Amino acid sequence: MSTPTPDPLADLPWPKPECPREEVSAAIRSACTKNLCPAQRMSAALRLTLCVAASSFVAAAGYWFGVSHGRSELGIRLGLYGAAAWAVLQAAVLFVGFGGPRRGRLPTRTLRLALAVGVPVLFLCYLTCSAWTYVPFDQFSHGARLSHALRCGSVALFFGALVSGAVLLAWRGTDPLTPRLSGALAGLIGGVGGALAVGIGCPSHEAWHLWVSHGLIIVALAGMGFAVGRRALAP
Amino acid sequence: MTSYSASMWPAIEVARLTSERLPTLAESTSEQLMERYVDGEADAFEFLYRRVSPNLMGYLLRLTRNRERAEDLLQITFSKIHRARGSYLRGAPVLPWILAIARRSFLDERRSAHVRTEDLSPDGSLPERQNEAPPLPAELSDALEVALDRLPETYREAIVLTKITGLTVAEAATVLGATETAVKLRVHRGYNQLRKELEQYSRTP
Repeated sequence: MSTPTPDPLADLPWPKPECPREEVSAAIRSACTKNLCPAQRMSAALRLTLCVAASSFVAAAGYWFGVSHGRSELGIRLGLYGAAAWAVLQAAVLFVGFGGPRRGRLPTRTLRLALAVGVPVLFLCYLTCSAWTYVPFDQFSHGARLSHALRCGSVALFFGALVSGAVLLAWRGTDPLTPRLSGALAGLIGGVGGALAVGIGCPSHEAWHLWVSHGLIIVALAGMGFAVGRRALAP
Repeated sequence: MTSYSASMWPAIEVARLTSERLPTLAESTSEQLMERYVDGEADAFEFLYRRVSPNLMGYLLRLTRNRERAEDLLQITFSKIHRARGSYLRGAPVLPWILAIARRSFLDERRSAHVRTEDLSPDGSLPERQNEAPPLPAELSDALEVALDRLPETYREAIVLTKITGLTVAEAATVLGATETAVKLRVHRGYNQLRKELEQYSRTP
């Protein structure tokens, strides 16, 4: 019977962690402790409040727009109900994506990835369900319908960028681990906020209009958030 | 019984406070030290630095394979930590946070400078021609260093983080921006390559 070959990795002399040279350490100590004072920091609650305030502001702007342009009371009411329901999901995304890890636990990357993919899909489904009328695409892509869609899309993009900007600003420099994913989530929160705010004020219930002007904004803003996330959220 | 004069009390009080404070810092977790550093305690930084810098240096050394670059990156990393200390979220694990900042600094530096790790010829102009596979040193610990250097970067990083830096697979996955399964796979494949490289050492008596 042959004896088993000893595993060369079983008891390897793994290198010990190494110290930097003393002059390097001295330079770092001096740079990091010179005139050291308590850092100004925002609490997580304050950051969350800032994000909620930005979302509320754009929702109020959407409401004002709807009222001042004579949208029906029922339409505004439905828009507000939708916004309130989605605000819960927005808060969940904000909490899971940015709430910070609890002691000893790391944020669950898979859950955040699932949110980044799942929320836009859910929102597009919601828009599909709330569309009452449908015109073929070639009719939608001409004339007044297209200009209305472009106007709505621009406003939604503007509102969404405001909320996304607030989220990015509130959590600036806090995520060295997955800044791009966090940026995409910030874009997602802003996109949903912008789309809902426009949804309160916009009288259209046409499917193409809702998908293009209200829905694709989320994807666009999530993409933008992904692009700027590293610069904005990594220290 | 020893009696103390009134003038000695302040000194005794200072000594008592000092003797109470030092063990507190020494016994603090890295997260608590970071929080105290953020609150402006220079001593907490000293303890944190002593605790974290060897791991960080070991990681950067194996990423860059160059001591001077590793020390430069160590300084850059700590200056970033210093500037970003206000954005540290209370309770977040410190070592993965710091290692992620170090890794980003390394990637940024490499991207901006297009630095390639080449051994230059004696006149310092051209990359030296590499032999196919130079023999491993006789000493196992040296051979392990060389074998680690020969691993592809993704495998090496995963092994260094889990074996040398002492992170859990979940923490290493967070630092690397990968899933836990991917990190386990990288470590496994890296192990297989190391096993092949170091086979001769198991045969030598």
